[in-house]
Amino acid sequence: MRRVAISSWATSKFAKDSRMPLLELACEPCAEILKNSVPRKEIDAVLFSSCATDQYSSTIISEMLGMHPKVSHRIDNLCNSGTNAVASAFAMIASGLCDSALVLGAEKADSPGNKLLWDITRGSFIFPVHWAAIFAKAHMRKYGTTEEQMAKVSVKNHKNAAKNPQALFKKEVTLSEVMNSKKIAEPIKLLDCSASCDGASAVLLVSEEKAKNLDNPVWINGIGQQTNSASFANATNDLTTIEAAKRAARYAFEMSQTKPSKIDVAELHDAFTILEILAYEDLGFAEKGGGGKFVDQQEIAINPRGGIIGCGHPVGTTGVAQVTEVASQLAGKAGKRQVKGCKTGLVQNLAAAGSSATVIIMGA
Amino acid sequence: MREFIEHLKTGKFRVPKCMSCGRNAWPPSHCCPYCLSKTSLKKIETTGILLEFTSSHCKGKEGIFGLVEMSGIKLVGSFHTTHLKEGMKVRMKECGIGPDGTAFYFFTPTMA
Repeated sequence: MRRVAISSWATSKFAKDSRMPLLELACEPCAEILKNSVPRKEIDAVLFSSCATDQYSSTIISEMLGMHPKVSHRIDNLCNSGTNAVASAFAMIASGLCDSALVLGAEKADSPGNKLLWDITRGSFIFPVHWAAIFAKAHMRKYGTTEEQMAKVSVKNHKNAAKNPQALFKKEVTLSEVMNSKKIAEPIKLLDCSASCDGASAVLLVSEEKAKNLDNPVWINGIGQQTNSASFANATNDLTTIEAAKRAARYAFEMSQTKPSKIDVAELHDAFTILEILAYEDLGFAEKGGGGKFVDQQEIAINPRGGIIGCGHPVGTTGVAQVTEVASQLAGKAGKRQVKGCKTGLVQNLAAAGSSATVIIMGA
Repeated sequence: MREFIEHLKTGKFRVPKCMSCGRNAWPPSHCCPYCLSKTSLKKIETTGILLEFTSSHCKGKEGIFGLVEMSGIKLVGSFHTTHLKEGMKVRMKECGIGPDGTAFYFFTPTMA
């Protein structure tokens, strides 16, 4: 299997309404990459991550950008789409099917991916906040996790987002503001939640051979994926764990031959604050039940771009944007939010009640 | 799924049961996820255990809701009482399709 590197990346400014149609939005970060990297004729694959159902969209984007790739298609796996597209591109290059692949994610704020109407097991409680509230309640009851610990996740991620020019939210919030924000589904409050928005992001993956010409390539050293179900009912047997994420992490750590204590920087799927706390445990950063206390730690830089809570959540874009952030950090190009001396990074991306998950481990 | 919905519309909770291995297919499916044989809708025991519950303040979705396990399947039901405790026995009192087109499963604690 060939090694795969990330050679370049770009993320658009996330906005409540970009006033751009989806495909125009999608082209924005791609154009930035294509102007500054390999000739377009050398790109073998274009993989478009989006929950929008626009027909033939990947191929339309390829044509709009003047590309004639061997492979072009859309990948949809709800909020987990972006890293799924990266994993597919990785596999195509590692196998020798392609030498380079452009992975792009784009989503509008009103994406059909925001609700999973298919899941009849959720009854009338169809919003993501409903399953998140059940996870939060279970973790509080079993391990004594507090609403304040969850609020601290929001404070931290908003603080990080304030340094990120591409983030939707650029205003810091106080613990008191989070705690006193509107109740949505107890114990989850408005500022414990991410917000849907318009956004696009893209990364260019290349083979080891092509990476020889790069100054500071970022390597993808491990990928783990797990799909447990599509429904909330069958996603997990333990309401204090995202079982798919736990397994995906195990696969990724095995493949990369590294361990949680080696991770310097991580982008975690904090669509709700409780999910970041569960991720600490599922990824092996904290012991089971210790996620609430782990929020105060300083060893690993968690969600330096502001996470999903700070940046906004254009569902099909999120996984790609997470990868661009960790790549920026490992390449030492993260500007004001640069984490000093980071060598190993991790991305964790989830879909629908944690029914499926992806973990990607990257190295400088 | 279509037949399940048709029954649900009339207030009947019928779950596809595998005609070969006898297990319940949930979420509803014409195909058994265990042995891939065909399923047929059957009435099941609708008394179960409340695993976790909380309350929603979302517009149009206000109320108490919780995850219930019964006859080997799990689903999110609604409750009209706050006198609940995790692990308690509950039974489905009513089900159907609401005015917004989503399914509803209304549970109540058993008296025992």
